[in-house]
Amino acid sequence: MRRFDTIVTANRPVADGYRELRFAWPPDDGRRADDGREADDPAPGRFFTLRAGGRYDPALRRPFAFSDWRPSGRRPSGGEDGGAIAGEAACVFQLRGRGTAHLATLRPGDSLDVLGPLGRGFAKPPRGARPLLIAGGIGVGPMLYLAAALAADAAAGLCEAPILAVGARTAALVPVGLLPAGTAVCTDDGSAGFRGTVADWLASFDPGLPPAFYACGPAPMMAAVAAVAASRRAPYEAAVEQWMACGVGACAGCAVRLRSGDYVKACSDGPVLDGGLVDWEAMA
Amino acid sequence: MTDDRNLGVTIRGMTMPNPVGVASGAFGYGEEYEALVDLDALGAIYTKAVTPEPRPGNPAPRLADTPAGMLNSIGLANPGLDAFVADKLPFLRGRRCSVVVNVAGKTEDDYLRVVERLDGEAGVDGYEINVSCPNVAHGGLAFGTDPAQVERLTRRLADARSKAPGRPIIVKLSPNVTDITAVAKAAEAGGADALSCVNTLVGMVIDVKARRTVLAMGTGGLSGPAIRPVGVACVYKASRAVSIPVIGLGGIASADDALQYLLAGAVAVQVGTALFSRPEAPLEVLDGVRAFMEREGVGSVADIRKLLR
Repeated sequence: MRRFDTIVTANRPVADGYRELRFAWPPDDGRRADDGREADDPAPGRFFTLRAGGRYDPALRRPFAFSDWRPSGRRPSGGEDGGAIAGEAACVFQLRGRGTAHLATLRPGDSLDVLGPLGRGFAKPPRGARPLLIAGGIGVGPMLYLAAALAADAAAGLCEAPILAVGARTAALVPVGLLPAGTAVCTDDGSAGFRGTVADWLASFDPGLPPAFYACGPAPMMAAVAAVAASRRAPYEAAVEQWMACGVGACAGCAVRLRSGDYVKACSDGPVLDGGLVDWEAMA
Repeated sequence: MTDDRNLGVTIRGMTMPNPVGVASGAFGYGEEYEALVDLDALGAIYTKAVTPEPRPGNPAPRLADTPAGMLNSIGLANPGLDAFVADKLPFLRGRRCSVVVNVAGKTEDDYLRVVERLDGEAGVDGYEINVSCPNVAHGGLAFGTDPAQVERLTRRLADARSKAPGRPIIVKLSPNVTDITAVAKAAEAGGADALSCVNTLVGMVIDVKARRTVLAMGTGGLSGPAIRPVGVACVYKASRAVSIPVIGLGGIASADDALQYLLAGAVAVQVGTALFSRPEAPLEVLDGVRAFMEREGVGSVADIRKLLR
């Protein structure tokens, strides 16, 4: 992780009240983790925080999952570690308060203060399992990146092709332009796609293979996916959303309650947690 | 360049290499920030609170965004004394900066247990006694608002030092009192070596749409630039009421913020909430304080207060 100042490359509306923010990801120092992975690997499910306004007001940075990350194609030949990697990162955000109102005003070329990548991302699906990606509302962000990554893995024969289902109250809240072909769209009012919640859709869907669930969305949806995953004895990788202060595991502000009664930190234990262990009622 | 010796601050047997520390609760146990902050450049790390037993902390949500600040109700979540010694202290041992352990509990005996156990452990330079946490039902603020209890607790803790008698007892005061000087004097009378001013202010945010408090616990502790004038006033008053050193904190994000506290009477400062927005804030504060001392020809940090007109 590192904190850096970079520039915005794009900021556009993608649905009613939803925007996609893209920014340059400067090269890191090429460090690699002990297990050989990139120490600063911006993997699906991980996140970053943005300063959204003045330097200390708002006092809290705003956390966002990567909705995309792509290398800029340049991999300078460095030492044996392969050199530094630069790229472009993105998130999808919903206009909710003063922080996101500020982010909405950013234009290409504006500076952006980023801290990341942070947290623990999604695990790979088991061999032979069908990845079922369930997104509700603004939870679509991390699932877009995961869907793209798993599709690439599937094309390389590393896993089965993922299926993405996206739920929203109404069609205007669905970021249609960002969705990969074949996405199952669900709307509460039936204005687009399946009429009903993604949980309703899921109950009647046959994945053909043993499923591996991935989800991000409101607590009732997450709880519904937990019930389905439990009934099918399937793994469930759940990305949680919580207010955060430090983002690095120091302050314990982003506590998420587990069914055991223990608390874990969304920022450093998560944001991807075993969805079967989370107390979703406490998150509501 | 000012000689680094001039930046040092000595309290009892502890000498901090410089006056800028990181506040308890904002910096974990140091390790969490290792990738972002040069720990050896800090004056002191005030650890997250340590209680005798592990504490899971309060129900979520624990945080709320407020104008120029934040509200927290963490509830002293910490792994407990044994885990602190086994898992957290080794990382802190041998640091160039001072390591001050923030001590908390429900009862006086809880505080005593922590200090007695740490007395025999290397790697601790001092104790900050948290008698001002607004987010726990017992201990914390319930202690910090009663001068007689502060005096008695401070005396018991001061007397508990045996193997490491040079470690200072620093009592962290609450601004949630009518007269902070009464509590400051009580801590001094009990044998405190220094005071930290101030902990958070009790606050509440209500979500009007949902018609409920944003924090699960209702109230929380307000921190950040919003409380800085309160903290500066408390340091000004407390430092004139006692003869022991005062460490200032509350909304410090820049060198000028720190200098307000130092001019008001503090001998050192802590940066807390600003870390969340900008992890390098304490080092920027230090650079600015050093530049000020050079510019003004001030020989030691403790002399900055003499410049106040």
